[in-house]
Amino acid sequence: MSITNGNRFGFGSGIRADSLFRIVFGSAVVVAGLLLLGVILSMVASSMPVWSIQTPLSFVFGDRWAGEVTQPDGSITGNYGAVPVIWGTAVSSVIAILIAAPIGILAAVYLVEFAPRKLAAPLTFLVELMAAIPSVVIGLWAAGDLSIRLRDSVEWWVASTLGRVFPWLSEDPNAPASQSVFRAGMVLAIMIIPMVVAVSREVIRSVPQSLREGFIGMGATRWETIRHVVLPAARVGLTGAVLLALGRAIGETIAVTMVIGNAEGIPSSLFLPGQTIASKIASNYGEAGSPTQVGALAALGICLFAVTFLLSLAIRLVVRRSMRQGGRVG
Amino acid sequence: MQQPEIESKNGATTPRVVPTGVPAIADTGAVSTTGNLVLQNLEVFYGGFRAVNNVSLQIESKSVTALIGPSGCGKSTLLRSINRMHETIPNATVRGTVTLDGVDLYGSHVDPVRVRRVIGMVFQKPNPFPTMSIFGNVASGLRLAGISNKGEISAIVEDSLKKAALWNEVKDKLDEPGTSLSGGQQQRLCIARAIAVRPEVILMDEPCSALDPIATLKIEELIRELRAEYTIVIVTHNMQQASRVSDSTAFFSMGEDRGGYLVESGRTPQIFTAPTQQLTEDYVAGRFG
Amino acid sequence: MSLVRLTASDLTKAPSGRDARRRRSDRIMRGVMFATAAAAVIPLIGLITFIAVHGVPFLSSQFILNSPLDKEPGISNAIIGSLQLTIASIIVAAPVGIAGGVYLNEFASPRISSAGELLIDVMLGTPSILAGLFAFLVVVPALGFSGWAAIVALSVLMIPVVMRTTQEVIRLVPAGVREASLALGIPVWKTTIFVTCRTAASGLLTGMVLAISRGLGETAPLLLTAKGTNDTEILNFGSTMNAMPIVIYRYAYAADKLHIGQAWATALVLLVIALVLNVAVRFRTINSRVA
Repeated sequence: MSITNGNRFGFGSGIRADSLFRIVFGSAVVVAGLLLLGVILSMVASSMPVWSIQTPLSFVFGDRWAGEVTQPDGSITGNYGAVPVIWGTAVSSVIAILIAAPIGILAAVYLVEFAPRKLAAPLTFLVELMAAIPSVVIGLWAAGDLSIRLRDSVEWWVASTLGRVFPWLSEDPNAPASQSVFRAGMVLAIMIIPMVVAVSREVIRSVPQSLREGFIGMGATRWETIRHVVLPAARVGLTGAVLLALGRAIGETIAVTMVIGNAEGIPSSLFLPGQTIASKIASNYGEAGSPTQVGALAALGICLFAVTFLLSLAIRLVVRRSMRQGGRVG
Repeated sequence: MQQPEIESKNGATTPRVVPTGVPAIADTGAVSTTGNLVLQNLEVFYGGFRAVNNVSLQIESKSVTALIGPSGCGKSTLLRSINRMHETIPNATVRGTVTLDGVDLYGSHVDPVRVRRVIGMVFQKPNPFPTMSIFGNVASGLRLAGISNKGEISAIVEDSLKKAALWNEVKDKLDEPGTSLSGGQQQRLCIARAIAVRPEVILMDEPCSALDPIATLKIEELIRELRAEYTIVIVTHNMQQASRVSDSTAFFSMGEDRGGYLVESGRTPQIFTAPTQQLTEDYVAGRFG
Repeated sequence: MSLVRLTASDLTKAPSGRDARRRRSDRIMRGVMFATAAAAVIPLIGLITFIAVHGVPFLSSQFILNSPLDKEPGISNAIIGSLQLTIASIIVAAPVGIAGGVYLNEFASPRISSAGELLIDVMLGTPSILAGLFAFLVVVPALGFSGWAAIVALSVLMIPVVMRTTQEVIRLVPAGVREASLALGIPVWKTTIFVTCRTAASGLLTGMVLAISRGLGETAPLLLTAKGTNDTEILNFGSTMNAMPIVIYRYAYAADKLHIGQAWATALVLLVIALVLNVAVRFRTINSRVA
């Protein structure tokens, strides 16, 4: 009895201790899961007052954020419309990704394929450092320095050329807006470039060297090798990198809040202030007194979560696919 | 279908009329005097390390030359310095000369990218491009060379695959990825890819080391056939392979500074039966290495 | 164009036509790629310069040591607040994250492990404002704007960071190490804690530093929870608390030069902390990789 039950190291009953241990450690995962569930349920529960005065469809497709409206018959209806903030989120993120994806991917290519080791190491270090800077610090710099530079350079230039043809690229040259959706997109681009670079770098590095040699050995230049062999072999992983960065851009709050201007409605031009889902929550929670006001912000939270959740799923699928492909390549 | 034209080196264009409608490589432009490689006092360095030590070697045109020797003796490095592939490794430098038909491949005007079109390469591990089809793999070099005529490309692809003894196995699945083939087929695909751009010289870096014996025999057979048109330099660990496929053999060893050097070279039968150096005799007899 | 068989004599001529164009585009693309790499780094240099130039004049011992209510106002309460909130949150997040990461790697069935991975992915991908919103909706109604609410929000953000890093470093522990211990008859739980986790200790620390670094820099979740205050609160998590990111955000729009300057100076302090933590993590990671 003592031989089978007791542990000769004197640790007590090994089996029972082990299963207790598993339960304790496993419960940590459950705690994490419950927290995520809590995030979702808290938003769903808090948004309920809104759904008693308007429908989810009218929320998602409503183009004005007008709050509660008292009808002539005394009943109250909700008039919260998320379209302007969804527009702001989409536009600023798309601007960011359009700039960050090519720059980030090409920079990663440079670091892996071209940069001499003495240059690659410090450059990589600096890029990683950029990723470590708190977004509020970036926001402060953007609001105090970058935003003004952009206004007086790119924005002015585009507005005075293309802006004459396309109203959505115009601005009043005498009174350019102090904040704009475009600048929010640029700040986001700067913030997500390090992420694109870091992930792309890993992806490009994992392309087997033998493929590069094969193509170079056929009389290809380095750039041809990158274009026809390396980038195609890495495309799935690079898609993952871009999606990851897109998720970050969509959810980024404080830096955007500091440069986008937080104006209601869809601006007529990219060079005018706007609002994103996240910046709306951050700038409106303080005034949210009534249950429907809080609920409307929670409903925005649900929208934001839904988008980032779908992106996480998509990235997972992409990563799985690239792993399968990697198996075939290797 | 437009017939491919082969420009000879003095620039005169010779239109070729081939009855089958397939461009033949065998009898085109193969002036038997081209493809002579001469290495003179060649030394290859990785940073401060001298991996290859003062090698002088004449490689005969339209023949197979095997480079043999124990691992680490710089054979692959030497091979890669012939088409300047070693330059893709940072800090790799060369001293001495490599000449092809009298032209210094390291001359100041010579573009390494073009050198590699004249001197093709087949690698240790089959490396078909995974994002390209079988057809695309063979056509890739032609597209790099600027050939846009689809008829011509498919004619050359077919011809190259036939030369590589792969056509019958893949003709019905040219659109499938090159990576879907077996190892031996992949390596023959890589050979087809190399010969498609009509190089003068083909370098082979242990092309069979990743293959099973049957696939190896097929490749060896192929090498013997290709010898009629190309100068072939092959690095191998396999003594039997060297004696089976090569006309000439160069034996390398590692010096005390760990740099490789040429012990002796000569006709293959002579190296294997009557070497002049004791070191060579020991090696080919399997007593060392 | 037909296939031109290049011969050795062609190599002596400078490439012309198509080959010259290919060569040129190779050079141009090299330049473009170098420019993109530079473009990725230039903002960092601009940012550091700007923050340093504007922040340094406002750095002083009073700035660090005094509270906003003192005659010569400083941000001591925000520094103290940031430290308290971050430490309290890591005390919550580290055990949960490490235990969860270990469980997923060592004990979970493949299906649970893959579900756990997805959970971590989703949590890492969830914008930080939503963690703040969660605490704002759940904790604030009960306890008011408070340190507790901030700790809840920051923990939600830190747990997946610790869990992911734990998973990655535990995976690197060779199976042989565990098996050797188990073969000696040492029970699983002791093996896990004293062998597996000990082996991966420096990696686990890295995960915690990463989480701390994230917690120190977060702003939006703190605005929705701790809210910010001029009072100095020590271990009084029931009341509103101040933190450095809150100071930066609030003072950025202040009307007077002093407060704007303090925002820059605070940003400089936060920047230095973030850089130091990042360098420390890199250093550790490199060391442990070598070892």
